[in-house]
Amino acid sequence: MPNVDRRQFLKLVGAGGVGAGAGFMLAESARHPVEHLIPYPVPPEEYSAGIATWYNSVCGMCPAGCGITVRTREGRPKKIEGNPLHPVNEGRLCALGQAGLQVLYNPDRLTGPLQQLGERGSSGFVDATWRGGLDAAAERIDAARNAGNRVVFLSGGVRGHLAALLETFTRELGSGQFLQYEFAHPHALHAANRRLFGIDRLPYYDIANADYVLSFGADFLNNWLSPVNYSLGFGRSRQEGEHRGRFVQVEARMSLSGAAADEWIPARPGTEGVLALALAQQLVANAYAGDDADAWRAALQDYTPERSADITDVPVETIEHLASALVDAGHALAIGGGSAAAHTNGADTLLAVNALNYLLGNVGRRGGMVFNPDPAIGASDTEPASYRAMEQLAADARAGAISVLVVSNANPLFNLPAAADFAGAIAAIPTVISLSSFMDETTALADLVLPSHTYLESWGDDAPDPGVGFTVGAVSQPVVSPLFDTRATGDIVLELGRRLGLGEAMPWPSFEECVKDGWRQLHAAGGEAAGDFDTFWRDVLRSGVWGTDTRAESGVAVPDEVIADIAVPEPQFAGSESDYPFVLQPYLSTGFYDGRGANLPWMQELPDPMTSVVYGSWLEMNPETARELGLRDGDLARVTSGNGAVEVPVVVYPAIRPDVVAMPIGQGHAGLGRYAENRGANPIELLAPSVDTRSGALATGATRVSVAGTGRRAEAVKIGGESRELGRNIIQRTGTSGSAGHSARLNSIPIVVESS
Amino acid sequence: MNIFERFVAGWRKYRKPGYYDDFDYHWTMTIDLDRCTGCSACVTACQAENNIPIVGEKELARGREMQWIRIERYWEGEYPNAKLNFIPMLCQHCDAAPCETVCPVSATYHNQDGLNAQVYNRCIGTRSCAVYCPYEVRYFNYYNHHWPTPLEQQLNPDVTVREKGVMEKCTFCIQRIRQAKDHAKDDGGRRVRDGEVQPACVQSCPTEALTFGDRDDPESKVAEKMRDPRAYRVLEDLNTDPSIVYLKKA
Amino acid sequence: MRVSIVPTLKVLRPAAMIVLVALIGMVFGYYANAMLFPGTSPAQPINFSHRIHAGDYEIPCLYCHVQARNSTAAGVPSLSKCMGCHAEVATERPQIRELTAYWETGEPLRWVKVHDLPDFVHFTHKRHVAAGIECQTCHGPVETMDVVSREAPLEMGLCLECHRENEVVHGDDCWTCHK
Repeated sequence: MPNVDRRQFLKLVGAGGVGAGAGFMLAESARHPVEHLIPYPVPPEEYSAGIATWYNSVCGMCPAGCGITVRTREGRPKKIEGNPLHPVNEGRLCALGQAGLQVLYNPDRLTGPLQQLGERGSSGFVDATWRGGLDAAAERIDAARNAGNRVVFLSGGVRGHLAALLETFTRELGSGQFLQYEFAHPHALHAANRRLFGIDRLPYYDIANADYVLSFGADFLNNWLSPVNYSLGFGRSRQEGEHRGRFVQVEARMSLSGAAADEWIPARPGTEGVLALALAQQLVANAYAGDDADAWRAALQDYTPERSADITDVPVETIEHLASALVDAGHALAIGGGSAAAHTNGADTLLAVNALNYLLGNVGRRGGMVFNPDPAIGASDTEPASYRAMEQLAADARAGAISVLVVSNANPLFNLPAAADFAGAIAAIPTVISLSSFMDETTALADLVLPSHTYLESWGDDAPDPGVGFTVGAVSQPVVSPLFDTRATGDIVLELGRRLGLGEAMPWPSFEECVKDGWRQLHAAGGEAAGDFDTFWRDVLRSGVWGTDTRAESGVAVPDEVIADIAVPEPQFAGSESDYPFVLQPYLSTGFYDGRGANLPWMQELPDPMTSVVYGSWLEMNPETARELGLRDGDLARVTSGNGAVEVPVVVYPAIRPDVVAMPIGQGHAGLGRYAENRGANPIELLAPSVDTRSGALATGATRVSVAGTGRRAEAVKIGGESRELGRNIIQRTGTSGSAGHSARLNSIPIVVESS
Repeated sequence: MNIFERFVAGWRKYRKPGYYDDFDYHWTMTIDLDRCTGCSACVTACQAENNIPIVGEKELARGREMQWIRIERYWEGEYPNAKLNFIPMLCQHCDAAPCETVCPVSATYHNQDGLNAQVYNRCIGTRSCAVYCPYEVRYFNYYNHHWPTPLEQQLNPDVTVREKGVMEKCTFCIQRIRQAKDHAKDDGGRRVRDGEVQPACVQSCPTEALTFGDRDDPESKVAEKMRDPRAYRVLEDLNTDPSIVYLKKA
Repeated sequence: MRVSIVPTLKVLRPAAMIVLVALIGMVFGYYANAMLFPGTSPAQPINFSHRIHAGDYEIPCLYCHVQARNSTAAGVPSLSKCMGCHAEVATERPQIRELTAYWETGEPLRWVKVHDLPDFVHFTHKRHVAAGIECQTCHGPVETMDVVSREAPLEMGLCLECHRENEVVHGDDCWTCHK
């Protein structure tokens, strides 16, 4: 035993004590955290822990109206997939549609009603109650109604019974006006169809059965109208037909669809219609044998390949080979829209494209374009508002004619050019009520915010437009109980209606009942054979979709006076060519669509397919142009139009005309939460208020800009490395690439092992 | 069997992919580049299914992206004949995988289904596998990632949320494969049918460019696609024997 | 000159003693924690006795833990399940009164998890029930316990041993449980 004195003994006791304490705490820290098992007091019928429940509903991320299937676990949605039974998307879904979960779970969602106590646009929002908020809203609307002033309900694109309900609401108000503003609504296509065929519907493009697709500016594989449906058709046309379908894209800046094309033709912007008419002229001269051939011949005589080549900057040989390919193809189909329709002659361009379809004899035919029947549910008289209508609204507001503006699911402050001065218009409206789920730019200027559910929490229904050429209806059901103190748009409107004494016209206790009632009528129209309603309703909710499945083939006729009148006028651009040498082409981005997806972190982190840029905006320009301007990839450039200027990094883009620059739409938000705010720039701000003369839609591609370096660098964040293959032979082509060694090697190592 | 024959047999077995005489299933994906449009639906599908974190702009700028499947893009030619080609790139589940031989703790190994497995709780984060991978499809967690409330409610409970210091990569949606096998077992112990299991990317693909299945089943769709003369594998000359078969662009 | 380490050691001996005692103390403290507060039988919001239900009255496990048959989770019975019997049975007992109070306020019971696996382990009850594994194999003789305590360590060795013993096909593939 060592000799331990008193001091040493106390030291040892102390050390032992401290050691024991440390050991104790160590064990405590290593302890598994206590977890709880919290069973439902009364579980929902179909609930069971650890097992996924799937619900069918309708996607609300863009106007295509795809069917979705939502996988939920423990009452929480975990994954959104396409509904395999829905004919629009057949189980597939685009990136934005799948990111819908982050709308639901967004950390920046409004969690309850807000009231602005301070100045408009200040941070004076305080929490309010639903009762107080609804009372206040009803009171202001009532006061406006009694004074004979206008109440405007401005919403994003809505369909189905919600559209019908909003229409009823504003009509019953007497002084009410219902406007739908959807930035990317195909006004020009509607106008063209109306004029050429007398049909005011969107067509279904039967791409799957077409073996030659000629697209004028329509980015139909990315986000034009119904991209998932078109993508399905594209895949099938490419590899499932008797022979591989060919696809040609005409546009000034290569879009995602342009990249998929077999041939990309950079026509001068705004002249796509001239190219279409030149092809039409060739068709009429060489192949078309209809009764009205003479009329067409007379109308198109000016559009010779030579003259058209001058106008469009597409060589005569290209025009001739396109024309002969169209004639030779079994089912040739022309599609027009997107950038080709974004000019002052947009509707005329699409009219020319449709004329091409008519002359190819594919209207109403398999492998061609088939007009959709009238929607079975919620047929609405309200045409979506064009830019012209929005301008009118702003002018009325500034003149003091509007006293209440209710905004729902629309963000005009972001989606209208600065030239429209919508902020000024809002400032002149005494009461602005927002039903948005997020603090977006428009909501920030509201006096009262009554946040609505996201589409995953609400009831609704939809008739997809453009559909698939036959009657389709779909019901959107809540897949999760509301996360926050929000209410469905329909319920808010019904509640307001009750307070305003409109109960007779809108008798439903809830919007769910309103939808159900509508479907009850639909069911009753089916007669005895339809069986009892409850079974029908349950079946519709289960499958998520209802309708027929056959396309009626039909022909159309074009009146002679329309033929005689056919022409594509020269596009008008805002700004002189000397001051503003480039045409600015803003385009809908893959992840953000028209800007609504910018608050979704998945979409921010989704590399832009063409440039691989994440989290930012950029300006695309031809390498030649960049060289002339002395700009390199990653230089910060100042883009100036007659209406404003933005600063964005340059991305050198090999497939864009030297006289065109392009910018994606979606970034440049001042609101919308942490992921979107103060990131990049919004090209819509720069646009001149030019419209397509026939349809009144904003001509987004009709603004000229100048580009100058700022001398600073601000590289856009790009994912992935080298943009060229450098002989690595990663992407191989049949016949053209791949050394002999590669294919021989593949054949010598069987990669399929047949089971014995 | 004399000692020499035993040695040869042993050596042959050693040389077999993944040391297995036979794979139980041989999961394979075919990607038709003629159909792929680069729309990136698969990228988001994978992020949603596999709890892939939001990395943030700063980290992305440092090249620390996490997406298990990415769209690679390669330009070809110059204006006006410029072309952009896309190729979805994900773990190739190589049957002779360079990453497996290099892991000091066997956190990545080949399993009986021909899958290149990654075991998170075994990984010590040497990142050697990522260095050895010629396809650059392994991703490292430099941080513990967070999901601001209520985004965390989206997390898929069937997939582990990875911690910092752990390597991760495409699993061919192993949770879906396991579930399909589970159903097959319930159903009288049959084998998984063709088309019964689809990874999230395959499920979402709007152009049906991606196909998934068991290549050992000659009736399966992937086996059929692999017989297509357009079939090839990326960086074939490295002898990694990938389980992803691309179909050439026309 | 010769250098010796011995004088240094002599000087260091008291310090070494202190370190040694501290280390011994640490080991002691560590295990004292584990012994005093084992965490294998935590206190529950209601003193539910498996001995009475599963032991005395021989109610089968799967009667309450219904989902063990078809789900990854065995599932804790909902309050409505408890009240199915206890609306009538033994309503006067203090514990049942507590239960009824929960039921009447609609507040869910927060049971403390006893058998908890790390988040990177994906165990499925369904497969094990289907394979005819007794619940007691992993959970111990629950029917004799008034307060449930964790008997088996529920560590990987236990799983692998059992998988190997029963010759589970590919049962030692890591991705069987980790994914």
